[in-house]
Amino acid sequence: MNSRFSQASFALHGLHTAPISKKLINHDTPPRQRSKQEPLWYAVYFPQFASANSQSAIHLKRQQQIAQALSALSATVTIASVDSFSFEVASSLNYFGGIDSIRKRLSDSLTALLEAWQLPTQVQHAVSPTPAASLLMAKAGCNLLVYRKNNLRAALGRIPLQALPLPKKKKRQFHNSGLNILRDIWRLPSHQLGQRFGRDFLKQLDQCLGHVANPVPTYNSPEQFSSELEWDFSIENKQLLLPGIEELLERLCAFLQTRELAANRLVLRFLHEHHAPTLLHLDLRQASRQHAHLMLLLETRLHAISLHAGCIGMRLEVTHFQTVSLNSATLKGIDAASETGTHADILPLLEELQARLGNAAVRRIYLRDEHCPEFASQDIAFGEVGNTHAVSTDKSSPRPFWLLPQPVHLKKSAGRLFYHSSLHLLSGPERIETHWWNKQEVKRDYYIASNRQGMRLWIFHERMLADIDTEQAWYLHGIFA
Amino acid sequence: MSLPNSDNRLAALLRSTSLWRASEHHLAAPQQANSHYPGAPTGFAALDASLPWRGWPANALTEIITPLWGAGELQLVLPLLRDISTQGRSALWVSPPCIPYAPALASAGVDIARMIIVTPQSHEVLWGIEKALQNNACAVVLAWPGTLSGKHIRRLQLACVTGQTLGFVFHHRYIRHSNAVLRLRAEADDNALSLSILKARGSHRHDRVRLPRETL
Repeated sequence: MNSRFSQASFALHGLHTAPISKKLINHDTPPRQRSKQEPLWYAVYFPQFASANSQSAIHLKRQQQIAQALSALSATVTIASVDSFSFEVASSLNYFGGIDSIRKRLSDSLTALLEAWQLPTQVQHAVSPTPAASLLMAKAGCNLLVYRKNNLRAALGRIPLQALPLPKKKKRQFHNSGLNILRDIWRLPSHQLGQRFGRDFLKQLDQCLGHVANPVPTYNSPEQFSSELEWDFSIENKQLLLPGIEELLERLCAFLQTRELAANRLVLRFLHEHHAPTLLHLDLRQASRQHAHLMLLLETRLHAISLHAGCIGMRLEVTHFQTVSLNSATLKGIDAASETGTHADILPLLEELQARLGNAAVRRIYLRDEHCPEFASQDIAFGEVGNTHAVSTDKSSPRPFWLLPQPVHLKKSAGRLFYHSSLHLLSGPERIETHWWNKQEVKRDYYIASNRQGMRLWIFHERMLADIDTEQAWYLHGIFA
Repeated sequence: MSLPNSDNRLAALLRSTSLWRASEHHLAAPQQANSHYPGAPTGFAALDASLPWRGWPANALTEIITPLWGAGELQLVLPLLRDISTQGRSALWVSPPCIPYAPALASAGVDIARMIIVTPQSHEVLWGIEKALQNNACAVVLAWPGTLSGKHIRRLQLACVTGQTLGFVFHHRYIRHSNAVLRLRAEADDNALSLSILKARGSHRHDRVRLPRETL
């Protein structure tokens, strides 16, 4: 028995066939009543990693990626050791439609990963009510499916003792005692076992059989998303980077999907050989997890930036997330007051414009309750919150549509004010005196003037200066357009 | 019309509705904009009457040529902005000469929350205008592109059709070959804003419309 199992596991090593090609062999049938259903642990053993260095950065990264892939299938994933993983499937059996479809999904995602790493795609697996038993069976290459705890003892009977995670000395002890498989142990009087082989061994057996609790540390996918692509040549053409970005976004979207999140802030780093990476920041007005939308924004952004040098890799990082409420679309009316609500229809356009032109290039105007003309209007970047207080507009005093950012000094020619041609005053003055409490004091008389080109101008006479200058102190402040 | 009594046939012909006169709008909408000639009222009855669409042409580019900023060109689109903003639709101002002054717009009845200002760098202006015009969600785009060529106008006109957007470009220079559906030259004097219709697709009339200051 012993030799057959070890042979099998060696034979699997290095074979380039689809993983888990072996179907699970049903050892028993699932219990009829759901209430009696026990947990089921799916264990996967990677013979490829048996000799991997558990501390190496590459291995840790791979481990994380595998655990991420597994968390698509179950909420409870454990990295059991350097080369094996287990995850709980009883709670997701109905969702996926049986253990066989879980096996298929697992097989697909693992094949993709292992092929990308250019490793043999064969792995070993087993399913049982306890994580320890599942791992043991998977390692021994015994692809059994055991639903009931009561049947575990029988199912484990054929497992060679050499497959147990025991010190060499103990293994030799078993060998010398003529004990080869677990069934040999089952046959021994149980009260002797602790004395002969130590309490640790006894505990292992009990955990396998589910007699004692076996708490396992669950894997939590990281709060932040970071994913990297590297290649061994340098790419200068931005167009050629797009497939890579698409790939990274696909990973991001899968991550967001499993965590029920939407991304708020993305950073894409283009790695260069001799230069610091080029950064591309993308802030989203409305958190998103739509591949197409994010791709469009990143692509627009990419066209606007220039790369320092040829690109040898990319890293996508997302640090800010927002939880997704799935019915947000139907409750749109609720946040209609907020900015994103009001502009929901043109939001995609504004985000695209902001992505290419910069956040500050898309602006909104607000009213402010100010008497002083230059402070009565506020223009700020779209997305920042402006004045939301209701402001009464005084319709009696006309205001120009264009207000110049700075008043323009008006020259006099032949004793008359001049702008393109000589001006004559149509109405006024409207006296505005305000801000006497700070240094921005304003004392002005506003007039509406027109010139020969038919322009209506809003001009003022500054009254703050000394008397000598007052005749000169005429300024153009707005155009009625 | 005085005609010799002998020629009744000519009089009958002139009265007939099937006769098209060169002075009439060619293919024009009879009273108001309809599905064949979609338009949006300009808010000025005199201008509406002179345009084949009885208003601004929908899904099309309108070119407004003024010698200077401040000739009253904003007054022309103000009723339209008021209409669309009260309907809850948005207008984009791309690269205006100044940031529009909120109190003036608000007192004219425009919902300023619906006005979005886009101020790209000069080399990105045309890209921004085209993107805005191509977008369905944006009802009106007002654009001050600076220099323009006939080629640019053709592109922008196509973008208007794609996005079903009312597009306005404001500039100073007369361009010889322009694909814009409507071209207006606006000039102001002390009492009125006078508009000359340089081109209106579907009409051979080149009316001049005078909008007195009081009506603006």
